[in-house]
Amino acid sequence: MGQFLAFALAQCARFATRLRGGGSAFPGLVLLRMRPDILGATLSNLAHGVIFVSGSNGKSTTTTMVASVLRAHGMRVFTNPAGGNLPQGLASALVAQASLRGRLRADIAVLEVDEAYGAQIAALVKPDWVVLTNVQVDQLNRFGEPENVYRMLHDLSAGASHGVVLNAGDPNLAMMGAKLSQSGQLVHTIDVSEQARLSASHGLVPAALFFDQEEDPGANINHSAPRALLRTMEGSAATIELSGNSLTLELPAPGLHYGVDATLALAMADVMVDDGLQADRVATAMAGGAPVFGRGEVITYRGRQIALTMMKNLPSLQVNLDALEGPLERVWIAVDEGTPDPSWIYDADISVLDHVDVLSGSKALQWALFLETRGIPYGDIVEDTAEALRHVVGLAASTAQPVHAIVNYEQMMSIRRLAGYKELEGAS
Amino acid sequence: MSTSFTIARVLPQILGLNGSSASAEILGSSLRHLGYDVSMVDIHSPQDAVSDVDIVCVGSGSTSSINPGASAILGLVQLFHAWSARGAIWCAQGTGWDLLGASLTTPDGRVIPGAGVFPSEADLRAPRFSGEVAGVDYQGRDSAGYVNAIGHTTLLDPSQVLVNLSARAGEFPSEEGIVSPGLFATKIGGPALALNPHWSNDLVTAALATRGLTPEFGEYHDRVESLAQRARAKIVARLAQGSRK
Repeated sequence: MGQFLAFALAQCARFATRLRGGGSAFPGLVLLRMRPDILGATLSNLAHGVIFVSGSNGKSTTTTMVASVLRAHGMRVFTNPAGGNLPQGLASALVAQASLRGRLRADIAVLEVDEAYGAQIAALVKPDWVVLTNVQVDQLNRFGEPENVYRMLHDLSAGASHGVVLNAGDPNLAMMGAKLSQSGQLVHTIDVSEQARLSASHGLVPAALFFDQEEDPGANINHSAPRALLRTMEGSAATIELSGNSLTLELPAPGLHYGVDATLALAMADVMVDDGLQADRVATAMAGGAPVFGRGEVITYRGRQIALTMMKNLPSLQVNLDALEGPLERVWIAVDEGTPDPSWIYDADISVLDHVDVLSGSKALQWALFLETRGIPYGDIVEDTAEALRHVVGLAASTAQPVHAIVNYEQMMSIRRLAGYKELEGAS
Repeated sequence: MSTSFTIARVLPQILGLNGSSASAEILGSSLRHLGYDVSMVDIHSPQDAVSDVDIVCVGSGSTSSINPGASAILGLVQLFHAWSARGAIWCAQGTGWDLLGASLTTPDGRVIPGAGVFPSEADLRAPRFSGEVAGVDYQGRDSAGYVNAIGHTTLLDPSQVLVNLSARAGEFPSEEGIVSPGLFATKIGGPALALNPHWSNDLVTAALATRGLTPEFGEYHDRVESLAQRARAKIVARLAQGSRK
């Protein structure tokens, strides 16, 4: 089918889904059905190429930061919205941003890519650069074990035509970087100082992978020359050393993980900007970025603020809890089928919580069992999300604190929709 | 002076994936609510050995944990058998169970001798199963959880099956786990003891029996069982819904 007709039909699908309310990955599915080659056809000829951002956690934030910094340096950037990291999500972003003839006003594509779909997406559009955030324990029901994620990210990176930028503060990625270097791939690293690591009580929470000693080339990686270094992280203020300069930046939200994402984003952007990054533009780009939704985002419902804290997996829950300052007045935990096996919650340090007011979602009972084991008191179990939302905003408050909602991705999307926030286009 | 129980967590840094270290915590909580003191001891090497242990918990790991786990366990075998001889109760999960059996065949076909604590043989060459499961255990009690495991385990005495699974979302053996005096192991997570407090109660009862004690389960245990019953019912409902699709 011709490109024009394919985009026209996908635009109709987009119009229909927006009438229904919010965005979806459906227009992308329509486009891909008619033109399976569309990602390559539209993105392969961008002047500055294609960057994939992948890893267990931090993909959305890092993607947003790379795009923001590049835009601040005059580049026109095509990117996908947070969570829209499957082929249909990328195609939906194309439908939203390309002309009916499939033309994009962009110099570069910065794409968040799901770990498991990396190979499939790379077959459609080959990345020039791959940015890797970390290898952590994530979605074991889907990936089986973190070793499989390591292998997927390694294979994705090996296929990058220009090189890889990775977080060598994660020991798994440090090893991967050494292996990629040995096989001839260009590898830029970032690192995290001991001082910065200590800013979060549980550090970077990498997956514990036990590679054979003879297989371990970790000693060969050049830790002394990272492209960027996260020197300090205090609240939401990060000090990052880049190309001999020290930048102090205010990030959209607090937490060591934001500092790592920012450092990685700056290293990638530094590679792409010929004349080097301008400190003032970087500062503006970083300060201007809103938190990616669900990562410290505050929404309002019936006049009450609700701070959304994501628990996509153990590391994301832990680093997000580490960034909270207790005591928390009102706490709501919402988790559903999007977390098929919540066993990992027992590995979390939830000592910042001295109580939970409301548990909701279809896995609320499993959370209640967990809280019983930990001896943490909890209030009502309200399975239905809408009912729980109404209930939680009706709870008395004696401080100006928002309600702290600790939610999985699917519950976060439900709560945002119920509170009248639009779903981001292409999110799946 | 109150009676004190010691729970050993074996190699928690290697065998502690996906909440599988929780068994010790859940058993500890149960014992504390019965009014007993509980001390937790982490065993990383023979140097950490303590002679008197009431319950030994071993968690699960990933495939890359098999080699370091097997090496570390090699140095602990004598200690394990001494604990067993003194009447310690064993509670193992997933890879931990595999390493404590008679032998383990790795995904690439190597055969590793196990610690010989459990009369079972693991073969990890079969594909991974990941999904919820439900069935009836050896005492006819409804049981449920989540399995994420590769391979299958053969019991040397087939009468020691822990649970017969009647519902599961895919291919997984219907006979799961092992139970015999002093021994309990399963591939079921969720974690298994949280979703199935009757198993936790069995283990606590066995540990108390070695001291000549009988538990008087109270309000905490009733509340936990009530929550677990509802959580298991949800699993059964999801499996039923899945099988209708």
